[in-house]
Amino acid sequence: MALPRTCINLSRLTSTSDKICMRLSSFASTQTAKEKWDLLSAVCLERKPVIARNLLPIEKEVLSMAQKMEYRLSLKSDHEIQLEKDRQRQERIKQGDADDSDMDQASLNSAQDFEDASVEELSKFPFADRITEADKEKDQKSLDRMLDRHLLLVVRQKLGTSSVWILPQGQRQEGETMRQAAERVLAESFDGKVQSRFLGNAPCGFYKYKYPKHIREQDGNSIGAKVFFFKAHVTSDSPLKKGSCIEDFAWLGRDELDSYLPEKYRKSVTEFLIDED
Amino acid sequence: ENMIGIRRFIQPLLGFHTSAVQCAEPMKKKKKMDPSIIRHREQRKMKRIERSIRKLERVERPLKPLDETQIPLSLKYEIPIRQRQLQPISQDIELSQRELLVAWSHHKQKEAERDLACIRKLLDAQGKALKELKLESEELYIEATQLDLSLLPYKAVGPTRTPQIKGYDPPDGDYIDVSRKWE
Repeated sequence: MALPRTCINLSRLTSTSDKICMRLSSFASTQTAKEKWDLLSAVCLERKPVIARNLLPIEKEVLSMAQKMEYRLSLKSDHEIQLEKDRQRQERIKQGDADDSDMDQASLNSAQDFEDASVEELSKFPFADRITEADKEKDQKSLDRMLDRHLLLVVRQKLGTSSVWILPQGQRQEGETMRQAAERVLAESFDGKVQSRFLGNAPCGFYKYKYPKHIREQDGNSIGAKVFFFKAHVTSDSPLKKGSCIEDFAWLGRDELDSYLPEKYRKSVTEFLIDED
Repeated sequence: ENMIGIRRFIQPLLGFHTSAVQCAEPMKKKKKMDPSIIRHREQRKMKRIERSIRKLERVERPLKPLDETQIPLSLKYEIPIRQRQLQPISQDIELSQRELLVAWSHHKQKEAERDLACIRKLLDAQGKALKELKLESEELYIEATQLDLSLLPYKAVGPTRTPQIKGYDPPDGDYIDVSRKWE
């Protein structure tokens, strides 16, 4: 593969795989004919986290400390002043000092009652569960799972003779840009429109693989495929229906990718995925 | 005889003088107005002013900008009532608080380093992809480096503490934004 001179600037090399690629290609630079690679577009469709993660122990400690400090530095609110007044009046009534002529107010212990009613309303409000049914059933086709983490769309496609779990990919056709190819691949993989938002025209990642020898050596065939990944966010939570191009699909969290994606492929993919601890 | 005659001449002449040039005419005599007409006119003026006041009051008063709001003066005199009487913090608790803040700063520093490393990794991956695309085809590379203006203005809603309640019917009803929009 002929390398342009700009690539030999060593300060631009950041990953070791890049360096290996450089050394290998410097050996191959004697080739004059350009190798033929198939250009493929793949879609990195993600469901972003819907709820915030649980607080770490140190975060909880600092939060409680900050709340105590804020309490110390604050002044009393009107509600607190009213509570104090009510309490004082109650004590005076007990001791028989105050006369009950102050009963013209709507309710004597209004401040405390109001607070109790508010607390009760909050405790009775039906918040939605952070751990959903899909979490409990471990339904990997559902978008309701793992709401505090990213979910990545992975499909099982037939490549050559075998089926592999990969991100949906397809070959670029004539007259398409790489991004348009990615959008087409997503549309063809599923029945019905997938509500998604593509993040720009530039690819976010790259992976290349060579075809098996017997395919490579046939005349007119390419040596291998270069896959360009495009990032997208899924915007609706309606479930997807698989199309004819794919065999199966799943929405996976980061730690589930190990058991599905091939090793080298997974390494390339995690290069452009946001880290999650 | 002659003296009497001259006196009669001189006395009026003694009072003779010229005043400065006024370039004006003396005041015209004011005609007395009919008091009922005066009253009528003033009443009309009053009515006009009251009508305009009522019109202004009917229109919603624009809110004062936040920069111009002032703390009500009554609060200044309420500070002693509102201050809390709390025990001062003990030495042990203060020490533990300081240690906690040091640990927190370490934690946040590590978090920031991780975030920056992640961003660097993402940018490197994209740079590598663009480099490979350029090697393959210049036109596709140029297409890939075009700005996508449909992404701007970008809006993202952050994660909440709990997820949305499916099919929630708010007791007050839904808020429908009817504010005027100027394009």
